[in-house]
Amino acid sequence: MDMNAYLSMFIDESNDHLQSLNENLLQLENDPEDLTIVQAIFRSAHTLKGMSATMGFEDLAHLTHEMENVLDLVRNSKLKMDSFIFDTLFKGLDALEAMVQDIIGGGTGKADVTSIVASLQTILKSDYKNGEGAAPAGAAKQSAATSSSSSALLDEFQSSILKQSMDSGHEPYFVQVTVDENCVLKAARAYMVFNLLEQNGEIVKSDPSVQDLEQEKFDRSFSVFTISTMPAETLREQISGISEIASVQVTPLDPESLASLTAAPAAAAVEAPPKPSEAASAAKESGDAGQTKKPAAAGQGAAASRTIRVDIDRLDMLMNLFSELLIDRVRLEQLASEVKRTDLTETVEHMARVSSDLQNIVLKLRMVPVDTVFNRFPRMVRDLAKSLDKKIDLVISGADTELDRTVIDEIGDPLVHLLRNSVDHGVESIEKRVAAGKPETGTIHLRAFHSGNHVFIEVEDNGAGINQEKVTSIAIKNGVITEEESKKLTPDEINMLIFAPGFSTADKISDISGRGVGLDVVKNKITSLGGNVVVTSEFGKGTKFSVQLPLTLSIISAMLIKLGSEKYAIPLTSIVETGILQRSSILNVHGTHMTKFRDSIIPVVSLSQVLESPDYNDAAESETEMIVIRKGDKLAAVLVDEFIGQSEIVLKTLGKYLTNIHAVSGATILGDGQVALIIDPNALIK
Amino acid sequence: MGEELKVIVFALGAEEYGIEVDKVRTIERMLPITRVPKTAAFIKGVINLRGVVVPVIDLRGRFNLEQTEPTEQSRIIVVAVGDLEVGFIVDSANDVIDIDTDNIDTPPEIVGGVKAKYLRGIAKLGEGRLLIMLNLSEVLNKNEIIQLEQIEV
Repeated sequence: MDMNAYLSMFIDESNDHLQSLNENLLQLENDPEDLTIVQAIFRSAHTLKGMSATMGFEDLAHLTHEMENVLDLVRNSKLKMDSFIFDTLFKGLDALEAMVQDIIGGGTGKADVTSIVASLQTILKSDYKNGEGAAPAGAAKQSAATSSSSSALLDEFQSSILKQSMDSGHEPYFVQVTVDENCVLKAARAYMVFNLLEQNGEIVKSDPSVQDLEQEKFDRSFSVFTISTMPAETLREQISGISEIASVQVTPLDPESLASLTAAPAAAAVEAPPKPSEAASAAKESGDAGQTKKPAAAGQGAAASRTIRVDIDRLDMLMNLFSELLIDRVRLEQLASEVKRTDLTETVEHMARVSSDLQNIVLKLRMVPVDTVFNRFPRMVRDLAKSLDKKIDLVISGADTELDRTVIDEIGDPLVHLLRNSVDHGVESIEKRVAAGKPETGTIHLRAFHSGNHVFIEVEDNGAGINQEKVTSIAIKNGVITEEESKKLTPDEINMLIFAPGFSTADKISDISGRGVGLDVVKNKITSLGGNVVVTSEFGKGTKFSVQLPLTLSIISAMLIKLGSEKYAIPLTSIVETGILQRSSILNVHGTHMTKFRDSIIPVVSLSQVLESPDYNDAAESETEMIVIRKGDKLAAVLVDEFIGQSEIVLKTLGKYLTNIHAVSGATILGDGQVALIIDPNALIK
Repeated sequence: MGEELKVIVFALGAEEYGIEVDKVRTIERMLPITRVPKTAAFIKGVINLRGVVVPVIDLRGRFNLEQTEPTEQSRIIVVAVGDLEVGFIVDSANDVIDIDTDNIDTPPEIVGGVKAKYLRGIAKLGEGRLLIMLNLSEVLNKNEIIQLEQIEV
């Protein structure tokens, strides 16, 4: 079997399971008594174990198995969760994640898990010493014994599968079948027995192995460990019903006998003296785990919505092809209006409607709920808060808000920075909170919501808020602003100082945040995504970071304009308004052109000069169209030749060869097939 | 006998040049070119190549040859080197030939005004015909463009 074909599926599913393990463990930490959560955790761990064993990632399977043992005790109320167990399980999860990451990176997924396994086993053993019952004793013995003995009848995976089936109400049996002495087609009879067993349950292990049975490499008898829904007697009768079967023995398994089968192969061999072949083959027993099938019980937690995974590159290709189609559609519409044939016009109109539906679907395909980014935050905040000795509740809302995949991929790191900042600098220590008359536990709200063509993500804490005096003095000390400038700043502007490069208000540098890198990086990243971040804060009450993001990066609304024969696009997001500017109202202030706009004086930018337009010069006209653009709170009037109109344009890059072109952020293809450059308004305002 | 090399032959003025076939994505007739402001003079702009925006270089300008108006024969050869995709405007492109790598000589210091480092070698085609093999990664070297721009400023 070529495992590579399944590797990507394995990686995707492992990540899903690790994520759900993380989430459920966190939930369980809040509510340690809720056994349904333990069940969910157990199922995820179990599936993960099965998958990694099948794929041959033994360390992964081993560690998951040990974690599963601990969870099993908890599930059966044999063990109470405490913080040591939680921490060990979280450590185990981290190790699992690291191994999966290694596999993603092309590694073998090998890792030294002995220390974590050891602490998991201490948990098991401490329980074993308490001697609460037979089942946990068996489990503990089993995990201790299997690590040393490889010649057990059942390996640890198989025995744990049997054990779980017992727990979930299915009956595991040890079936011994002897075929008739005169039987000619022994393999065929064996096959019929297997067929029968598989129809009514699962075969966990057979001895000799299935391959040997198929090649008639057995004497007269073989034995099978199976899980069945049928009572023992019915099973026995049905097997006896197969012709040329001499005798059938069906032994129901209980935890004790299972443990003995696992731990003491010698004893098992003695127990079954009529089978000489068994003792021999028991010794050569070697990792049949690869063929172990997942018991039916593991499938209960199947997701409700049916999805398929698609390579993001294919979606991008679909998007590219679709934008091609849009261009052709516009061209067809032009042609149809020239030809003026009603049936052609109707067809083209119909096509236009279909393609705009198609556009919606294609765009939606790329939309991913922000949950895919948010889901790792509860764990992160928990760990951070714990390491800082703070109590923090992270309240997430709007996790189902959808954003374009490209934005999702980029927004993770900035949000991590903001959250770390809130945990570290925002929420105060427990003593300070109590002294300030606040509840011990701080709250951080993480919200996502749609508004117009944007998605907002807010990180709000009810911590100390921004100390504006401190911020101002540090900004002056670090040379971000001068003392005179600081006097003119509004409170909001002071708050924005924390985004300045090289700024950090932390008194001492912690490894969480406070190295002066962070918030300026956050701001740059968000700006480069076409978004914006603002901070509002009330000293003593809390701080709110509000991140504004475009819904998608690949299609934007833009204003198409003309400069002589050339066409350009200006993103609508930065346009405040359009209008006509009289040449006479342009003022000359110290060598730069300014004009009055509303109640302020704003600079005038001649686009034809900036872009060195070959056949248009606004200076020659007495009246010029202008577009007022905004960058932050700065405005500027941009002079253009003619407005063409508003349009949805598909963003394209100029390629690797043309980079860092002044005032141009990309290109788009217009309806007539020509390329139009997209102006970067931010470059026009200094 | 060396290896066989498939080469696309194109002309700039009186000279004939060659580019390996596997580096060439496509050859197009002249397409409408959108000027990109504030770039070197030999960068003519960008074209729409079936939905992909591709920059176009006037190879005459790149080699400091006299620039001419495009004619009916002019072609855009789109080459892909590494992750760069660039179109070359050439006077004509009309032949694909096989040449023997043994017949490629290292270039002399100066050939037809084109700097030697842009050349991979000179291929002898017989009947006194010479083919100049281009060193694409040097032709597309951006560092040099930046230096050129600095000299111009």
